[in-house]
Amino acid sequence: MNAIPICCFTRATPNAIIFHILQFLIELHLEVDSIKMDEEPERAKRWEGGYERTWEILKEDESGSLKATVEEILFQAKRKRVFESHGQVRLGMMRHLYVVIDTSRTMEDQDLKPNRLTSTLKLVEYFVEEYFDQNPISQVGIITTKNKRAEKLTDLAGNPKKHIDALKKAKDSTCGGEPSLYNSLSLAMQTLKHMPGHSSREVLIIFSSLTTCDPANIYELVKTLKALKIRVSVIGLSAEVRVCTVLTRETGGSYHVILDESHFRELLMFHVKPPPATSSSECSLIRMGFPQHTIASISDQDAKPSFSQAHLDSTSGGPGLSMGGYFCPQCQAKYTELPVECKVCGLTLVSAPHLARSFHHLFPLEAFQESPLLLHHTERFCEACQGELKDKSVFTCPSCNSVFCVECDLFIHDTLHCCPSCIHSRSAP
Amino acid sequence: MMMASEDEVSLLVIVVDVNPIWWGQQANREPQFTLSKCLDAVMVMGNSHLVMTRTNKLAIIASHCQESHFLYPCKLWKFGDGHGDENASTSGDGKYELLSVANDFIAEEIKNLMSRTEVKGNQTDTLLAGSLAKALCYIHRVAKELEAGQEMKSRILVVKAAEDCALQYMNFMNVIFAAQKQACDITGGLYLKIPQKIALAQYLLWVFLPDSDQRSQLVLPPPVHVDYRAACFCHRNLIEIGYVCSVCLSIFCNFSPICTTCETAFKIPLPQVVKSKKKKLKPST
Repeated sequence: MNAIPICCFTRATPNAIIFHILQFLIELHLEVDSIKMDEEPERAKRWEGGYERTWEILKEDESGSLKATVEEILFQAKRKRVFESHGQVRLGMMRHLYVVIDTSRTMEDQDLKPNRLTSTLKLVEYFVEEYFDQNPISQVGIITTKNKRAEKLTDLAGNPKKHIDALKKAKDSTCGGEPSLYNSLSLAMQTLKHMPGHSSREVLIIFSSLTTCDPANIYELVKTLKALKIRVSVIGLSAEVRVCTVLTRETGGSYHVILDESHFRELLMFHVKPPPATSSSECSLIRMGFPQHTIASISDQDAKPSFSQAHLDSTSGGPGLSMGGYFCPQCQAKYTELPVECKVCGLTLVSAPHLARSFHHLFPLEAFQESPLLLHHTERFCEACQGELKDKSVFTCPSCNSVFCVECDLFIHDTLHCCPSCIHSRSAP
Repeated sequence: MMMASEDEVSLLVIVVDVNPIWWGQQANREPQFTLSKCLDAVMVMGNSHLVMTRTNKLAIIASHCQESHFLYPCKLWKFGDGHGDENASTSGDGKYELLSVANDFIAEEIKNLMSRTEVKGNQTDTLLAGSLAKALCYIHRVAKELEAGQEMKSRILVVKAAEDCALQYMNFMNVIFAAQKQACDITGGLYLKIPQKIALAQYLLWVFLPDSDQRSQLVLPPPVHVDYRAACFCHRNLIEIGYVCSVCLSIFCNFSPICTTCETAFKIPLPQVVKSKKKKLKPST
C-alpha cells in the first residue's frame, strides 16, 4: 500500500472523528485487497484504480449532525472483532515463533509517538503477554537487526518474564544502519529447523525500513524456508516492499502495513490466535511431565532449601535458594515456575491448567445472533450483567435464547468463551 | 496502612450456593444451622463491607439448581442510588437506611426464589461456573460505568455448600482464566473449609472482610495444598508423566497409535537407520 496519498488526505481534515471514520473505511478497503491477493499474483496499486468516494458514506440527518452515522460506525467496529473465528479447522497449538524487530535508522522516525522503536517495543511486550495467555505451551524468541547484522535478543523460551525484561532493556539501545532480512531469517532458521514436526514454526517480522542489505540471494533463502515449512509474516511500518510480498506469499504468511498505532496493535493481536495447522504438520504424542508443587516450611524436618535450575544460569540478583517448588518427575531437578523444559533430562514440564487454557480454541463459542431491540419488548435487562438494554440491537445465544447486550457479547466472546446461561444446564459441552 | 482514597471503588460480589436439596438434607443433619442462618451471616458480611468505606459497592448472587439470580442490587433500581420503592420501610431503630433496605430486599428475593423454582431431580452438586460467569459480566459492566478518574478493585467471595459437578470442568476453567485476566495477577484468593458452620459470620468477618492490600498485614489460615497433576483420559488416574496429543491436547498414560478423542493417527518414532558409508576400494598397487 502506498502510504503517501492516504497521509495527504487525512492530514487535510482536522476533525478527529472524521479521521477515525475514514481510517475504518480505508481499513475495509484494505481487507478486500488482501483477499484478492490470493487470486491474482499482482494486484492493482491504489493510484491505478479510480477514486473511492469515501465521503459519500457519511450522511447527515435533518439537523446536520453526523452523530447517528458515527455511532453506527463505532458499533460496527466493535462487532467486527467477534467474527474472526475459524470454525472447525484444526489449529496449531504448539507454536515456536520468532519475532524479528527492525532496529535500523528508520526506527528513530517520530511518526509513532514518541518514536517508532519505543512504540514497537511497548506493543511487542503486550503481544508477548497476550501470546502466552492464549498459547501457554508455546515458545517465543526475539531477534533484532541493524547495521546489516542480526542478533538474538532472547532465545526461544516459554516464560514471558525473560522476554519482557529484555524488551524493557532494549528501549535504551540505539538505532542505526540498515536491517538485513537475509541474516535475521537465517538466524531464525538455524533454530527453527531443529524443532519437532508437530509444532508450527513461525517468524513475525516488524519491518520499518524500505531497504535490506543481504549477503546472498534472498530468493534462494525463501525457497529453503518454504521447504522447511517455516511461515513468515511481516508487519510493515512504512510502505509495501516487494521482497516482503514475495516472502510472505511463498511461505504462506500474511503481510500488512500499519496505518497508525491502534492498527498496529490490531495487526499484532491477529497473530496471537493459533493459525490453522498446515496439512503437512505431523500429529504426534508429546511426552510431558506434570510436577507437583511442594510447599515446604522450615518447620518440616525433611525440608531442605535448594537452588532452582533456572536460577543457576541467570545473572540477575536475588536469592536462589527456596524451600518449595516444582520437581521434575523424571530427574527431580527443581524449578520455580512452569511451563519449562527440564535442562537435565529434556522433559517438557507443564501443569494441567496450562493445557486447559487452550481448550477454548478447540471448542469455540458460536457467534450470537444479532436482532433489533424492538423485537424484544419482553426483556428489558441483559441476562448476564443485569444492565438495561439500551443499544439498538441485542444478541441472542442460539442454544439457550438468552438475551445479552453488546458489551457482554464482546466480553463473552473475547474473555469468557462460554455462555453464562448455557453453562447452567448439566449437560457436558 | 494506606487509607483508600475517595476515588477508589471496591466491589464485593458474594455468590451463595442455595441448592435446596443440599440445604434440605442439612436441616436433618444439623438443625441449628439452616439456610436462613447462613444468609444472616452473609448479610452481616455485606453490611460490614458497605459500611467500611462510603464508596464500597456490593452484589449478591444466589446460585440455584438451574439458574443464578441476583439478590442484590435490584434490576429495577437505577444503579448506585435510589431506593425508590413504595414498599421501602424506614427502619425505626435508626439503622443506616441503605443497609435496612438491602437486607429486607435480600430476604424478600430469596423467599421468592425458593418458592417459585421447581426442583427437579435429586442432584446435590452445585453449578458455580454459571454464577461466576454472571458475576464477571456484572463486574465488567460496573467497571465500564465508572466516572472518569475512579479506579475499581473487585473481588468475588464464594460460599459453597455442596460438592462440585465434574461435568462443569471446562466451563469452570474458562471462567477462572477470565477472572485471572481481569485481576491482572494470579487470582490470589483464599480457600477455607469452615470447621464449625454455626460460626460462619465470624469466619467471614475475620478472614474475608479485609481486601487484598490489607491481608498481607494479617495472619491468615495457611494455604491448602492443591494437586495440579493431570488425570489421564483413559483411566482417570492421576499421572506425573504422560503423553499429550498435539491436536486435541488430551492426556494419555501410555503410548497408543491413535488418539481416542480426535482419532488422528500418530507417527510412531522409529529408530533412525544409519546408512553405512561406502568404503572406497583402494586401487591395489
